[in-house]
Amino acid sequence: MRKTDRSVVPLLPFVKVVKIGGRSIIDWGAERLLPVLDEIVSLFGTHKVLIGAGAGVRSRHVFGVGLDLGLPTGVLAALSATDAEQNAHMLAALLARHGVVSLPPPLVTHLLPALITLGNGVVVNGVPPFELWEHPPSVGRIPPNRTDAGMYLLAEVYGADRVVYVKDIDGLYTADPKTDPSAKHIPSISVAELKEMRLRTLPFDLLVLDLLPLGHHCRMVQIVNGTKPGMLTKALAGEPVGTVIHASSESGAT
Amino acid sequence: MPGGPRTNSPSGLADRLLTGSLSDEALLRETGSGIDTPLLPFASVIKIGGQSVIDRGRAALFPLLEELEQNLAEHRLIIGTGAGTRARHAYSVGVDLGLPTGVLTTLGTGVAMQNARILGYLLARHGIPVITPIEFGQLPLYLAERHAVVFPGMPPYTYWEHNARVGLIPPHRTDTGTYLVSEVFGARSMIYVKDEDGLYTDDPKRNPSAKFVPKATVEELLASDFNDLVVERAVLEFMLNARHMKRIQVINGLIPGNLTRALAGEHVGTLIETDGFDGG
Repeated sequence: MRKTDRSVVPLLPFVKVVKIGGRSIIDWGAERLLPVLDEIVSLFGTHKVLIGAGAGVRSRHVFGVGLDLGLPTGVLAALSATDAEQNAHMLAALLARHGVVSLPPPLVTHLLPALITLGNGVVVNGVPPFELWEHPPSVGRIPPNRTDAGMYLLAEVYGADRVVYVKDIDGLYTADPKTDPSAKHIPSISVAELKEMRLRTLPFDLLVLDLLPLGHHCRMVQIVNGTKPGMLTKALAGEPVGTVIHASSESGAT
Repeated sequence: MPGGPRTNSPSGLADRLLTGSLSDEALLRETGSGIDTPLLPFASVIKIGGQSVIDRGRAALFPLLEELEQNLAEHRLIIGTGAGTRARHAYSVGVDLGLPTGVLTTLGTGVAMQNARILGYLLARHGIPVITPIEFGQLPLYLAERHAVVFPGMPPYTYWEHNARVGLIPPHRTDTGTYLVSEVFGARSMIYVKDEDGLYTDDPKRNPSAKFVPKATVEELLASDFNDLVVERAVLEFMLNARHMKRIQVINGLIPGNLTRALAGEHVGTLIETDGFDGG
């Protein structure tokens, strides 16, 4: 195949891509979700926002049932998409008076440019439409392309420079701040540096660390605390609140 | 906070999934234990090459379709189609325009769909349908009633396709899409029908001294510097993680009888297996 490295057209370079956490925000109901949506509504007029819905605890439950039945990863992925779809419906219903709709994947590719130009924002299912064609993971059977990865992929194809994950933590720490008093907050880090830290767990889909370095446009993900009003607004204004994970370090080494 | 769903699991894994982190390697490893339920273990997945077979027209396709028809009585066939030369053209135009990989993917998907429709119409008199990914819920019925379905081989990622490590061409194309169908259904075989006898040490069309390789492991191939891996690299990478489909077969569909022998389990063409696969 001939060399194909050219600069890539950003399809919707002005769109801000945000993912609202399932377990961290939506599953908490009014207590956490309504303030986040109020903040997003306050940003209409300044930004056009693509709002991805996380799946949440129901997917954890369906994974448990599915694994017990011996169902393959692709089926688990297809089932999980429904949980995020339900959440997308709830978000769209709450934002309906602002002209926001939820688009299922086939309609995203067809209609997103029109609806996001004409309106303020669009809600999407954070789970990518891989369905039975989900990638077999290298360990275990949990689908690897989940909602953090799904919203990263949309940010990348549409040409956004980052995706903001709205969760319930201030970002990354050198250790678990709940159990280790010496844990330090990490405001900014590269993929390579983060992998080297070998943290036992990370609060987002691991696959994002493999996708980031391949991005032509989206070379940052930002984790902000949605339980603290104002963080999302700052992130969409380009401020480095929470934790920003960069595809590569400042020196350019990946 | 509203109450969460409750689990009823004797193993405890379900409870740990509710609260644990899906980046926790120990938890992920635990999800790998337990049974694997094969969904369609009697089905054979076949990929009919786009450029290698369908683009050749009736000279290649008519004898192959006759052979497929002869195998319908005994076998249950899930037939995926490649894309081929029109996809290469569309990718070429798209790349020149600077379109992102996700958009290019939809172009290739269209060509695989054209080929699926072509095959479908030629198999119509056998009542064999063409189904797209959203219709895969119906596949078991067609397989039982008509013994075969045709589907476009591209995976349905559209704009969500991953970027490639190099360049803009989508890394997961029709070899990969059909492979994943064989893996998720726990099928009995994954047979690639192309226009060469199988794997060679180099592209036999360009290098006449290329040697035929009848058997290779996935690990060897991924570590090799073969110019042409005979299947998309992603297939080999996924095979390393597969729960079911750890062997694929590449055959020359232009030679009558090869497909029948492959469906019967004979070693015709090239077998590519994960290291340690015992054929079970």
